[in-house]
Amino acid sequence: MVKASLAALSGPCEFVEASSGLEAIERLALGPIELMVLDLNMPDMHGLEVLGFVRSHSKYRQVPVIILTTRGDDASRAAALEAGATAYMTKPFAPGTLATKAQELLEPGSR
Amino acid sequence: MTDFLDTFLDDYFAECDEHLTAVRRTLLALESSIGRSRPDPTITEELFRAFHSLKGIAGMVEHREIEMLAHEMETYLRAVREGEVRLTTAGVDRLMDAARLLEHSIAARRQGEQPIDIEPALAELRQISPDEEDSPPSSALPAPDSPAASWQCLFTPSPELIARGINVDVVRARLREQGDIISALPVVGDGGAIAFRFVFEGNPEIAERDAWVADGMVCSKIDDAAPVAVSTVVGERSAATLSSANHVRVDLARLDDLMRMIGDLVIRRARLGDAIARVESLVPSTDWRGIQENMSALERQLRELREGVMRVRLVPVAEMFRRVPFVVRDLARETGKRVTVDVSGEATEIDKFLVERMLDPVLHVVRNAVSHGLEGVDERIAAGKSPEGTLTLTAAAAGEMVTIQIADDGRGIDTARVIARARVAGLAIPAHVDEAAILELISSPGFSTRDASDRVSGRGFGMAVVRTRVQELGGAISLASTPGQGTRFTFDLPLTLAITDALIARVGGETFAVPQASVREVIEINTGGIHALETGELIQYRGAPVPIVRLSDALAIPVRPATRLHAFIVNAAGAPIALVVDRVVGQREIVVRTTSDPLIRVDGIAGATDLGDGRAVLILDVAALARQARRTRGIVPVRETA
Repeated sequence: MVKASLAALSGPCEFVEASSGLEAIERLALGPIELMVLDLNMPDMHGLEVLGFVRSHSKYRQVPVIILTTRGDDASRAAALEAGATAYMTKPFAPGTLATKAQELLEPGSR
Repeated sequence: MTDFLDTFLDDYFAECDEHLTAVRRTLLALESSIGRSRPDPTITEELFRAFHSLKGIAGMVEHREIEMLAHEMETYLRAVREGEVRLTTAGVDRLMDAARLLEHSIAARRQGEQPIDIEPALAELRQISPDEEDSPPSSALPAPDSPAASWQCLFTPSPELIARGINVDVVRARLREQGDIISALPVVGDGGAIAFRFVFEGNPEIAERDAWVADGMVCSKIDDAAPVAVSTVVGERSAATLSSANHVRVDLARLDDLMRMIGDLVIRRARLGDAIARVESLVPSTDWRGIQENMSALERQLRELREGVMRVRLVPVAEMFRRVPFVVRDLARETGKRVTVDVSGEATEIDKFLVERMLDPVLHVVRNAVSHGLEGVDERIAAGKSPEGTLTLTAAAAGEMVTIQIADDGRGIDTARVIARARVAGLAIPAHVDEAAILELISSPGFSTRDASDRVSGRGFGMAVVRTRVQELGGAISLASTPGQGTRFTFDLPLTLAITDALIARVGGETFAVPQASVREVIEINTGGIHALETGELIQYRGAPVPIVRLSDALAIPVRPATRLHAFIVNAAGAPIALVVDRVVGQREIVVRTTSDPLIRVDGIAGATDLGDGRAVLILDVAALARQARRTRGIVPVRETA
């Protein structure tokens, strides 16, 4: 679903999917990854743990990370932003909003 | 003085509960260490702590049974830890029996009943513990033969490996085959390269390890003297290591009070809103905007307050799921079946009250699944299945609902047998028996699939009680069963009970509230589009015929005929149904007051609320209404109650 909504991005893009937290980190390490869309619920790690690791690593500190979650409350949002999330989106979201946000983060200054 | 003692005892019981929970969880983990020379030290340490604390607090309130039981359990465990005796199945069984006695003994004390006889259990525990006098010093023991050791495996991913299909998840699966993974962490190596460090217990073969090197996996044995740092464990066991140091224990009644006060506030705000709206014409528009802004801010903040308090009441479903392996283990042993329990979504949070009310229903369905659903080993092999049955428990949250599923991969429900049983019980059998009809039949009072002598169903907690309990909580049950493949029960429950979002609708002169979580869609229908059939009326909805239920008929409310009506599309046992009202007038946050008094309890009404004008408005129980509709349509007739 996430992939489908990102397909709307203008310009050629390649998507890499990971099915667990560790795999997400592996994919990032083997990169290059320009944008990470991270679900909070993963089988092995919490999304914020993955985010914490990404942010603690100097090489990946600048990679924009969009957090996707079903929890829309302010406390969860604050926790994500504090952990270094670039953007925070609550599921379900309109397909267009994710693509717009991704576009914004990939091409800063394009709007 | 008595008051003081009572409070003290309350604290004692609460603390006992906590330690017992830890004991139950850890004992199951200990089971996996059977046969090893020494069990995982983190497990024994946790058990030690729990036994020791129990012994201590029981001593303070002079609860002798607990003190002595905990002491003997500790003694045995110490012998195991020191390597004086090897952990055996019998040993774990004795510990589990003793844990159960601890539980019963505490319950007896709490209810003011006779103390439970613990002597036989004490004797059994003493039997498996070495005699204290002649226990040899642990250093004199011979080295254990091929124990499972702790290993570390460092995996460095690379594009070549990925191309060969070897990624971190594959590595994890490989290690899992060779032993128990203790932790899995990403680490930063030299030059900033990312690698993954797994710590696991097992006995990987040398050939295996050599083959792994080509796949970027480097294994090395961890010295026993350097214990694994469990505090940094991610994932595999993180739930068990949650610290409780920052937690406060609060009486649930206080949270109920808090919720009630917030409920009153929500109603008061609604009244204030109505009162202010009435004076709109008297206020200059510039002032009016200020009032409006404040009102909406107040509403938002109230909602946040409500959500905050609600969050405090939430506990992980794990509290409930943790009991399941215990129950399954006992039953499997009694029936000679082999069962594995798969649990997912344990971290899903649910109202504490729901956990307490749902525990028995969930355990009942679990017992049913093990004793009726899953086949014995021989039967499974004959059917071409793996000898081990699987019981899957899943919890997931979606919006304001929580879904709990209990599934087995057993023989499925035998429809013919259910029908035969229902006939014996004097239940009416519908012409077409689908899964919803089966659920209806097995949930009827008086229905039982086994003889009264059956130990499991003989507990007076049948599916009828399960269904009533779920309905009382505002939830719904559904059933899916495939012959030869298994059965799945699904409970859909509201996340919380007290305050919820609702759609407000009018029928004739009456106003009703419909919980928003149970509504899939609101549509407008043209009365010309309603097709009347012998068994009822239908409309076309998204290209398919959907039966409609007019609330005016269901609740006998006189209405004027209209050409355009509104309808709620709701789910009734998996299939949509349209509940027709005159008009949907809005959306409100409502405070639910359940109608628990059986005298005024009406099927189809879940409770009442106050919209702010002081009048009580009834809250519809959508699932019950849909069920009623199915019955009156003759799809599932019920037994005459006369």
